[in-house]
Amino acid sequence: MNFLEVNNLCAFYGKAQALHNVSVDVKAGEIIAIVGANGAGKSTLLDSIMGLTTVTGDIRMEGKSLVGLGSAAIVSGGVGYAPERFNLFPYMSVQDNLLVGAFTARSDIERNLATVHQLFPRLEERKNQETSTQSGGERQMVSLGRALMTSPRLLLVDEPTIGLAPKVCSEIAVALRKMRDDLGATIVITEQNANFAMTLAERLYVLESGVVKAQGTVDELRNDTRLTEAYFGH
Amino acid sequence: MQIIIQGLLLSGLYALIAMGFTLIFSVGRVLNLAYGAYLLIGGYVYFTISQTLGVPKLIGLLLAAVVGCLVGLLKYRLLVKPLKGDHVAVEISTLILAVVLQAGVVFLYGDSSKILLPIVPGVTQVAGASVTYNLLTATIASWAILIGLYFFVRKTHVGRAMQAVSMDTKGAAISGVDPDKINMFTWGLSGALGATAGVFFASYTQLSPSMWVAPLIISVAVVIVGGIGSIIGTLIVAHIVGFMEVLAVSVIAPELRGVFTMLLIIGVLVIRPQGLFGREEL
Ligand SMILES: Nc1ncnc2c1ncn2[C@@H]1O[C@H](COP(=O)(O)OP(=O)(O)OP(=O)(O)O)[C@@H](O)[C@H]1O
Ligand SMILES: [Mg+2]
Repeated sequence: MNFLEVNNLCAFYGKAQALHNVSVDVKAGEIIAIVGANGAGKSTLLDSIMGLTTVTGDIRMEGKSLVGLGSAAIVSGGVGYAPERFNLFPYMSVQDNLLVGAFTARSDIERNLATVHQLFPRLEERKNQETSTQSGGERQMVSLGRALMTSPRLLLVDEPTIGLAPKVCSEIAVALRKMRDDLGATIVITEQNANFAMTLAERLYVLESGVVKAQGTVDELRNDTRLTEAYFGH
Repeated sequence: MQIIIQGLLLSGLYALIAMGFTLIFSVGRVLNLAYGAYLLIGGYVYFTISQTLGVPKLIGLLLAAVVGCLVGLLKYRLLVKPLKGDHVAVEISTLILAVVLQAGVVFLYGDSSKILLPIVPGVTQVAGASVTYNLLTATIASWAILIGLYFFVRKTHVGRAMQAVSMDTKGAAISGVDPDKINMFTWGLSGALGATAGVFFASYTQLSPSMWVAPLIISVAVVIVGGIGSIIGTLIVAHIVGFMEVLAVSVIAPELRGVFTMLLIIGVLVIRPQGLFGREEL
């Protein structure tokens, strides 16, 4: 049994179908990347795991189905999410944003806060700053930090590097790797930046128009035309 | 001096009146046009329990808050949640609900207004102005409740979750907060605040089946002028409205109480639709 098993997942926005029979398996402690162009369905896949879309099919973590549970229950079941547009609380301080993340993991607050501050020292320096005044890189850190505050065993990160300078990208990569190595989290990221995906992840899934077009280890896919096609079209 | 003291006292009470309305607007994004009904319910529950049945006043006040809370919870479950997202439907049905409730009060208690005996009788001097103990008590209680609420919202998990839902519902949901439960809680809290304010308001003015209208206008004014209201913003705007009313009543004519508040609402809507201090926080 894999840690996370997504089976024949279809996701819908009203009548429009955004995912078609998507199946993804993730082993415990793995980092995998979902890659694909704009509109491929990457965010929809992560939103679906969080219970935020209408789906058919099955999503299981450690054998337990997540479908129909509702986001709050999924979070307290051990899934953390750093979404595409962060969805931070703009007029709350960095610290309060992190504390909202601790809503279901109150007994771990001190330990988690120490971990977040160790991964992102800037969040401790800026803890009283409102997130509405922060830079994109800082917001990404708050978003990852807030997800960590939920004590996740599975961490979903939607496009961790979008719009970030190379230096910040590598900071984020270091942090994500530490979350796996030191905290034992299993990680699913989505990426448009295939290079970043290939340096961080062990396996890739190529998503195109809501369909899984290819999957495999980084070495298997490195020279696969399906990977480049998914980005640059036909 | 009399005007300043009177303005300060009245404004504290107005802030309490508006607070419950602001909370629902901020967290649930609903303009609860039946909000004044909580004040009506609070006033009449207190009247029945403490003035008619003679139960101690503090218990009457508490029961009024409990009934207000229950009505708020029921309204969320039976009306707001089933109509979720349809703001016009929610606003129309809440307004109708208030009118129905008014009819119910007329049926049970009669059409004429009643005098609610002062919660604390007597008159005292504050800085040379004569002030009833009743209004003084109401103001102090209002401030105490608002300060408590401020710290509750800032410093507790549930309070921060309320702020979170008001600023980004999806962000709250993926943090493990159930927006539905927070909304429900906020409706209950709003009902309790409104009913408590209703007891104070009725003891300051009088008890009548139409007493839900004036507080609703005060509340709407506070939200419109303050933008989507923070607690601090609510306090500031309540003072603007309170002083305006005291000035209108004492300098121009008592009949004009409330008129300037309504003109203020229209004026702000025309000039700055997002409110004077508007930003979305709690
Ligand atoms: N809320 C929504 N309502 C309707 N359609 C939506 C909604 N969100 C996404 N879609 C559609 O679903 C499809 C997949 O979108 P999704 O956001 O998952 O893609 P993505 O791979 O994350 O793209 P990007 O790289 O631009 O973030 C798109 O066709 C999009 O238009
Ligand atoms: Mg996306």
